[in-house]
Amino acid sequence: MALYVLYLDLLVTHQFEGRRWTLPAQVYAAPLELYTGLALSPAELEEELQRLGYRRTPALDRPGTYRVQGERIDVALRPVRFADETRTATLLSVVVGPKGLESLRDGAGQEVPVLRLEPLLIGSIFPIHGEDRIVVTPQEVPALLPAALKAVEDRKFDSHHGVDPVAMLRALWVNVRARQIEQGGSTLTQQLVRSYFLSTRQTFTRKIREAIMAMALDAHFTKADLMNAYINEIFLGQDGDRAIHGFGLASQFYFGKPLAELDLSEVALLVAVVRGPSYYDPRRHAERSRARRDLVLKVMAEQGIVKAEEAAAAARRPLGVTSRPAGAYYPAYLDFVRRTLRRDYHDQDLTEAGLKIYTSLDPRAQEQAEHALERELARLDRQHKRPEPLEGAVVVTTPQSGDVIAIVGGRNVGYDGFDRALDAHRSMGSLVKPFVYLTALESGRYNAATVVQDAPIDLKLANGRHWQPENFTHEVYGPVPVVRALAESLNLATVGVGLDVGLPKVADTLQRFGLPQPPVQVPAMLLGAVEVTPLEAAQLFNGLASGGFHNPLRAVRAVISADGKPLKAFPLEVSQVASPEAVYQLDRMLVEVMERGTGRGARAVLPAGLTVAGKSGTSSDFRDSWFAGFSGSHLAVVWVGYDSDEPTGFTGSAGALPVWAHIMAGLNTSSWEAPMPEGLAEMHIEFPTGLRVAPGCSDDMVAVVVPGDASIPAKPGCSFPDNGSPVTTILNRAEQWLRGLAH
Amino acid sequence: MRISRSSSAVVSAWLIAACLSGCVVSRPESTLPPGAPPPGETPPGSAAPAPGPGEAQPPPSERAPAQGPRQFRLGPAATALVTQAHTQAGSGEFGQAAATLERALRIEPDNPLLWIELGRVRLGEGNAAQADAMGRKAVALATGDPSAQAAGWQLIADSLRVRGRDPEAAEAEQRAGALSPH
Repeated sequence: MALYVLYLDLLVTHQFEGRRWTLPAQVYAAPLELYTGLALSPAELEEELQRLGYRRTPALDRPGTYRVQGERIDVALRPVRFADETRTATLLSVVVGPKGLESLRDGAGQEVPVLRLEPLLIGSIFPIHGEDRIVVTPQEVPALLPAALKAVEDRKFDSHHGVDPVAMLRALWVNVRARQIEQGGSTLTQQLVRSYFLSTRQTFTRKIREAIMAMALDAHFTKADLMNAYINEIFLGQDGDRAIHGFGLASQFYFGKPLAELDLSEVALLVAVVRGPSYYDPRRHAERSRARRDLVLKVMAEQGIVKAEEAAAAARRPLGVTSRPAGAYYPAYLDFVRRTLRRDYHDQDLTEAGLKIYTSLDPRAQEQAEHALERELARLDRQHKRPEPLEGAVVVTTPQSGDVIAIVGGRNVGYDGFDRALDAHRSMGSLVKPFVYLTALESGRYNAATVVQDAPIDLKLANGRHWQPENFTHEVYGPVPVVRALAESLNLATVGVGLDVGLPKVADTLQRFGLPQPPVQVPAMLLGAVEVTPLEAAQLFNGLASGGFHNPLRAVRAVISADGKPLKAFPLEVSQVASPEAVYQLDRMLVEVMERGTGRGARAVLPAGLTVAGKSGTSSDFRDSWFAGFSGSHLAVVWVGYDSDEPTGFTGSAGALPVWAHIMAGLNTSSWEAPMPEGLAEMHIEFPTGLRVAPGCSDDMVAVVVPGDASIPAKPGCSFPDNGSPVTTILNRAEQWLRGLAH
Repeated sequence: MRISRSSSAVVSAWLIAACLSGCVVSRPESTLPPGAPPPGETPPGSAAPAPGPGEAQPPPSERAPAQGPRQFRLGPAATALVTQAHTQAGSGEFGQAAATLERALRIEPDNPLLWIELGRVRLGEGNAAQADAMGRKAVALATGDPSAQAAGWQLIADSLRVRGRDPEAAEAEQRAGALSPH
């Protein structure tokens, strides 16, 4: 018996010590930069403030509040620590007009050119999946909370030795009479022990074990330590697969603001939830939880913790919980953060050392991507009626900086499981074609107007088998210009071009743009028999979106230690991986994919006049539906398919494109309008034939960009005005250059 | 401008250059009503607007490539951040300066002047390869703006010279000289 007690003592002490010093890394989203001219509506600014848990009040009485006075929004900003700056609490006045942010002034009325709001806390890195919490120190806990917990759950907390025999006997008496276990009678310490060992079944032996452990804890640690552990440990709700532990996270989860800012009625509600997070769920059972909150308030008044009038006033307040769980949970993004940091940190550093991690997550873009994927997959499932639900993944970046701003790992966005954005290795299908044509452009032997043969192919492979690829339509298109072959994703023409420039060259292009493994150099590689994850596809297309410059995609910007020292930065890095001229020519063709090729279906969804570039991808037998494309400021890659690798029955244009279009449409993004590099010329060719035409000379023409010295055969009988000919273009350039000198 | 190969000389030369470019890019605030486009920013007839003050979302314009001569400027937010970065770099805090310039780049990602600023910081901390790459990025973005292109080539020249690649540096410097309005 003595040995058993000793064993329990060791077990619980070890557990307590382990938890006590555990400070998981806290992960923050990108802060919103406010500056004059920012396109932001008053509603969007208010939404952003509410996301950060700011309260609208008539008087700016404390940090974490704001007030609206006509076009002016005054904000009492909380103190905040960024990776590179610490800012004390400060006042900010923002004037937001119809065209966006008009002025920004500090408390003294001084104009402020640029200011960051605080970054949203998006989670913590815990050793166990599906677990999340915000660890609070005693200083961050409102004094009302421990007082209320003691009054309601354990009045003798300060004097007992871990158990309260009187309360236990009372509970036992009730239970014996009811012949089942109904009433707790557990001290806070016993509840803490129960939470540590996750035993929810209540048997008498367990109760005894629990009591011994509680007494052991009480003997070893101070009441203040035990109270703090309780506040950080206790189970307070469930959000899908995520368990909400501790009052720090519960405060964010139910009210969207830090624990320190809770008022009396809010503290009372959380204390009410302790007794049964499911039974007293304030979102699902508002009446029931309200009744218990009011009971907590009454007890607090009876115990002299608050005045009766205060309790009565608090009981008149609404519950105040946010309609949706605030402080949303982004497991796929956190997964990428965790993997990035694993290269430099041990797991233990991340889960225990109290690091602060600053990321590029854009909560607005993340929500757009989640909603678009969920909605479109539901629609596709309704159309296709298969037993297995479709799955999908999304990666969104800002190409010039290489920031990954959103990751969706599957349609169940809160599920902390298989992360398709990072781990689904799928055939890239026609997403490979831009890299085949880029290789061709770089060879100098091809341009957008070059006529290539879309003709039957029969290759005898090394294994003696024959490879006979076909077009999607099973038709053969004959001579077509490159711009059309790419826009209509013609397989035979692409294989012809790829074999001509050479598999090693195409493989090299893919690797320069960031493909991690060398692709197997077989002809089928030219049609996308190359496995990539959605994140890797985003890396490849990011180079196309940023003019042939490779930026390693990054989620983490900086890591600082618990005491605020910068530990690690992930600075912006670029390297040139292709000629800007070749990439510009290719990108202009990818614009035509959206205008008249396999991406044109996006038009109906995108804002009118928004120029975007992109490429659909369909792998063999329709197993993978891809779309990758970019605007001037954003890149998104979408994959849709079945986890089982069953054929979907639809193309990239039918599956992934609608998701992509809805994400882009919701991003408030800008047109792709990269400047045309010198030495190139824009001209019009006939889309079916590739012959040079003058405007008005053909009813099916397309503008392409080719090297200034390229000679493109003209359509017979077409007369050319002097614009568009290479010679004039060069003269125009010389004139522009001279005018430039005059500046 | 001749740059000695010793890194301290590079840094001090950069600080001078930084001051000069600061003078070029920062406009006296008082002459501008808040929110008004800076004068001469978008020459009439130019297809694509130069990045305006904090114009994160320029209105969709025609797809015609930007061909007219342009002159890149920095908006007030980027100007303030560049000034702050100069102070940080001046006291040797290159990492902080780079982080500040990255904030500016998130506001105006297509502005070659900011890529040049960031490249100068990288050169200052001894990362000539990144300085070179950022110079090339700036040159690519600065199409139509000879003075920004010249500054990009000068950065490339300086980063080549630091690495002892003098013939290439001379060539890059020549390109800068040919583009330079001075």
